[in-house]
Amino acid sequence: AMKCVIGGAHLRVFRRAIHAIARISDEFWFDPIEKGLALRSVNSSRSAYACVFFSSMFFQHYCWTAVSQPCQKEKQLSLPCKLIIKSVLPVFRCVNVLERNVEKCSIYTNINDHHITFQLLCKHGVVKTYNLVFQDCDPLQAVFAKHLCPNILKVHSRLLAEIMIHFPTSQEEVTLSVTPMKVCFKSYTEEDTDFSKTMLTEIQLNPEEFDYFQVGVDSEVTFCLKELRGLLAFSEVTSVPVSIHFDVSGKPIAFSIEDMVLEASFILATLSDVEKERASQQAPERENSGAVASKKPQWNSNAANTASAKPASPLAKQEIKDIPRAAKREVTGTEGTAMTEAEERAALGEAAGAQYQKVRRPRPQLQGSPISYFCKRCIFQFHSLFFGAVSCQKDAPSHSFHSLATASDTEEDFGNAQSSPV
Amino acid sequence: MRFRAKIVDLACLNHFSRVINTIAKLAKTCTLRLTVSKLYFILSDKVANGGVSMWCELCQGNFFDEFQMEGVAAEHNEIYLELVPENLSRALKTAQSAKAVKIKLTNKHCPCLRVAVELPSLSSSSRIVTHDIPVGIIPRRLWNDFREPSVPDFDVSIYLPVLKTMKSIVERMKNLSNSIVIEANLSGEMNLKIETDLVSVTTHFKDLGNPAWASEDGCQSSAQDRDLESMAEARIDIKKLQQLLAGQQVNPTKAMCNIVSKRIVHFILLHEDVSLQYFIPALA
Repeated sequence: AMKCVIGGAHLRVFRRAIHAIARISDEFWFDPIEKGLALRSVNSSRSAYACVFFSSMFFQHYCWTAVSQPCQKEKQLSLPCKLIIKSVLPVFRCVNVLERNVEKCSIYTNINDHHITFQLLCKHGVVKTYNLVFQDCDPLQAVFAKHLCPNILKVHSRLLAEIMIHFPTSQEEVTLSVTPMKVCFKSYTEEDTDFSKTMLTEIQLNPEEFDYFQVGVDSEVTFCLKELRGLLAFSEVTSVPVSIHFDVSGKPIAFSIEDMVLEASFILATLSDVEKERASQQAPERENSGAVASKKPQWNSNAANTASAKPASPLAKQEIKDIPRAAKREVTGTEGTAMTEAEERAALGEAAGAQYQKVRRPRPQLQGSPISYFCKRCIFQFHSLFFGAVSCQKDAPSHSFHSLATASDTEEDFGNAQSSPV
Repeated sequence: MRFRAKIVDLACLNHFSRVINTIAKLAKTCTLRLTVSKLYFILSDKVANGGVSMWCELCQGNFFDEFQMEGVAAEHNEIYLELVPENLSRALKTAQSAKAVKIKLTNKHCPCLRVAVELPSLSSSSRIVTHDIPVGIIPRRLWNDFREPSVPDFDVSIYLPVLKTMKSIVERMKNLSNSIVIEANLSGEMNLKIETDLVSVTTHFKDLGNPAWASEDGCQSSAQDRDLESMAEARIDIKKLQQLLAGQQVNPTKAMCNIVSKRIVHFILLHEDVSLQYFIPALA
């Protein structure tokens, strides 16, 4: 159970955070833990993940207690809830009204009733109370080892906003191209882009414009701009520099901000070169995701789950490309070769060992339960997105997959911290 | 075919941006005609446009610090391009504080106008933003489609009321009706009328003044013989009128319209260095 109070000045920041996360998905995870409150979201194709963590110091008052469910043997260390963004946005809608009239906002969770209550205490004794129902859900957390990224840029949010403003709001994908000498953001184009109909924009910058500029490897990464705009708007109210961690194409790119009371990270998948190549080879058949899928001999029943993600965007294509690999692992799993605990935990990125324990069940049971779908998708997509080949014993690891997760060593305590949580 | 131009002066750049913004509001696609001394934005009266046509003329010397053009051939030293003015408007939108803007005709993947904006930056070298705007080259055999429209044999010519006022009135009328009647006479009176089943609204303007047109032989006699009080009217699509008025970002030096009864309304908006003519045909 959690109760917290957000003071007037910080309401603006909280509101921007919710709006930023709204760019990613329609629903988000509301995850209070002892140290503070985390809001997380992941999009349907698992190609974008956002997390904003407010430490307890952000709040005027923050109180969290562990709750033990009668059916659980262990104490739940955290119980994340899933909320629909559309229900929450109206609470923080009119920003002017918000800033002038609302003195503070209290948030209470009521586990038994499955409610979260948002209470706005306004001037003149007006109190607005919103009771929102939440859904129980599995924890969501991505693990991304930022410190392993060869390329790191730090830039003031103002500059980043000034750059992105040159792209039209309809621009979906943007390519960031870096060498030690220059930085360039440009509209993304595919081989079959109709140049006679598309306006292309390119912005060239001098590395000197960045507060911190480290380019370990020349790279060109393409990511979804739409999803990033939320973070840009959010970072403007915090006036904290934005850090960009990335690697070569295909590896995720992370945009993060951090100050004394909050941390936010937006991790976006990037288009991989291999996928681009394959895409051009299979261009004629590309419209039908099913066709692509059927070429994979390993594709098994999981196709039903994942083929529904049509490759409308290049990023989705990446997902489909990676799935067969994981699908193969799933198959080996049912044959009894379970993943090691460390791998599985790394894949799910559990915040708390207790949660992890709950999830780790013998394979056959996993298939049927509602959790299994989430786990499967988690393993496949997060696996493909963030971890590359978390050592799959059977396959020769392809060169393009490097584990980005600091895979937790088996000797580490389960109860202790996870590896670089986001 | 070559074209390069450069604007360095901020005021000129803003002025040029405003013109482009106006054009962008009036036409989704239009023709850009480049000659040695002038630029023209042309919309010819096709059915697809709803019969409206537009002719906008600028003197390049008033905007560009550098302007070099080589047409398709020596005797036809002009370039006709088809483009989406909204793209150009967008490219210039973020150039408010630019050090320089260069426009060039290029042909990398396809013919493009490359707009390169040099922006000030915190570092020693400038930030450069490049926009490649796809254009279509219009072949010479089609140039005849884009000739300057002649001033119609109008019944009444009258100065328009203050555009801002006219705009807010038309905007409100737009909610009530799809068409509007413009009528005016040679006594400086103009009425804007809408009529629906439920309501009719008329706004009266007076003392607007009538421009004196230089009389050519025989042409003006019909207008001069005209009864001063008699109204010439035309019913036009209200959205087109609203678009024209909404697109004006600066008050023109002169604004007038010529009405050919039941046929067409010809609007003329003159600024110091830009002239815009817009034709809206009467509805059946």
